[in-house]
Amino acid sequence: MKLENDYIRKLLSAIALHNDQSAYKELFLLLHGRLKQFAYSILKSNEEAEELVSDVFIRIWQKKDQLITIQSPIFYFYATVKNLALNRLNKQKRQVSLSAEDWFVQMNSIYFDPEQLMMTEEMVRQIRQAVNNLPPRCRLIFKLVKEDGLKYKEVAELLQLSVKTIEAQMAIALRRVGSCMQLEIKPVTRISAGIKKS
Amino acid sequence: MNQENFWVLLSKKLSGEASDSEMDELQQLILEHSEWQLAIQNLEDLWKHQQKNDDYMQGEDAYMLHLHRINELNIPFGDLPAETPVVQVKNNRKWYWVAAAMFAVTAGIFWITKNTGVKPENEKMAGQVNEVSTRPGSKSKIQLPDGSTVWLNADSKLDYDKNFNVELREVHLTGEAFFDVVKNPQKPFIVHTGPADIKVLGTAFNVKSYPGDKTTETSLIKGSVEVTLKKRPGEKWMLKPNEKLVVLNEYIQQKREERPAIKLQTRPYLAIRQLTYQKGDTIAVEAAWTQNKLSFEDESFLEVAQKMERWYDVKFLFKNRTHEDLMLHATFTTETIYQAMEALQYSFKFKYEIKDKEVIIY
Repeated sequence: MKLENDYIRKLLSAIALHNDQSAYKELFLLLHGRLKQFAYSILKSNEEAEELVSDVFIRIWQKKDQLITIQSPIFYFYATVKNLALNRLNKQKRQVSLSAEDWFVQMNSIYFDPEQLMMTEEMVRQIRQAVNNLPPRCRLIFKLVKEDGLKYKEVAELLQLSVKTIEAQMAIALRRVGSCMQLEIKPVTRISAGIKKS
Repeated sequence: MNQENFWVLLSKKLSGEASDSEMDELQQLILEHSEWQLAIQNLEDLWKHQQKNDDYMQGEDAYMLHLHRINELNIPFGDLPAETPVVQVKNNRKWYWVAAAMFAVTAGIFWITKNTGVKPENEKMAGQVNEVSTRPGSKSKIQLPDGSTVWLNADSKLDYDKNFNVELREVHLTGEAFFDVVKNPQKPFIVHTGPADIKVLGTAFNVKSYPGDKTTETSLIKGSVEVTLKKRPGEKWMLKPNEKLVVLNEYIQQKREERPAIKLQTRPYLAIRQLTYQKGDTIAVEAAWTQNKLSFEDESFLEVAQKMERWYDVKFLFKNRTHEDLMLHATFTTETIYQAMEALQYSFKFKYEIKDKEVIIY
């Protein structure tokens, strides 16, 4: 399911205006998996990631009144997870790599029925391979945009990169995946690979 | 140069980041390179395709823990909704139980509404049978009025009436469930299934009794249980921890009549066996599903297929019947049916095809 800012905003305002616990629960169920995955990529600990997501939602409940002013809820959640995670690492004085190079994430949406998208098994296998072989930072960016619905400038802000870098990384990801999809596109990749080398 | 730009523009378009002029530019590039057409189409499909939402039970469990933390940290979380039933609280982990009960009631109401269209009014429900059922591919966790916990596996049904916990604690089960029963020697807990009744005082055990399965199995994790069979009244079987009672179901042939009957004769009608543990695992294979693991150890492909049918909500069709007897062992957690089928091929090479919700084995 793609995350929708509009939908999340509705849930947030139900929480803010009516203390709506069922909206709160729905929001939790909607975001828990992804946020935990993102937290895990930074913290590298399942237990801590779980606790951190819980912390984020405690904050949501405590700051109910401010929720309606959030412009882009999805970004707000990811940014909060990132900040809390880095704080946590700092407190623990763990050797922290602030660079997104070391945040490993998994793409979930590449596991699907080939028939659904009228693709061959072989093609899907290659797509998975292409995605899983992307450099970690590139895959992270690709995931945040494609699966989590963040905007380029939000990803740039989250990862402290320029929007141009996001553009370039997205193009790399798409080119690698696209090259699995058609034989005729292969010469194209070879040419561009040649350009990169020189 | 064109190609680099093409990928930048296409990714912008897919992400909804492209400006009007960029869209025009992309359109122009596409017109010049008709050979990209197929890749573009596929990428757009792939982009739109979204994985279905994360595992429901995991989210529910996490939410329960979250509520528990809120309480531990003394964070005010408002009053409980009015429809929350009174739950007997016997220990300090009050919130945990209340949260569990809330979930159980929600699940119950949801299913009753879903299945029968009966309005979830409290008074109305009291006089009726409470029924919780799960569809193939889903699981549920239920808190019974006496505080006992039941995990209901896929494609299963559990019901109990208003007399539950009056003199006895009686439930009826079709399918598979794991019970963690609160000890109360005054009120024995009885699970009724088609072929067998299982009586306990307080214990943890698993019952698997799907119509259409070869066997009905009662697996004991701790405590003790007493099993009586409808076919053999007057006889009782007591189980010790880590034992299971396996009873051969008779009506299996009607359900899967295409299968040869000879195989059935080779199994005894009834047997007590040890529970199976996989290397390094602390939970028995028989109860692994409660931890979201689909686990099997040296089971025939046919039995595995039945488990997978419920787990993934698919149907298996064996075009090549010799494969039915392949012995398999594996554990799946978050794997999709595709990943699972690929993994099974590591132990045995067989051809298969997944069409819609059907898995065909060649």
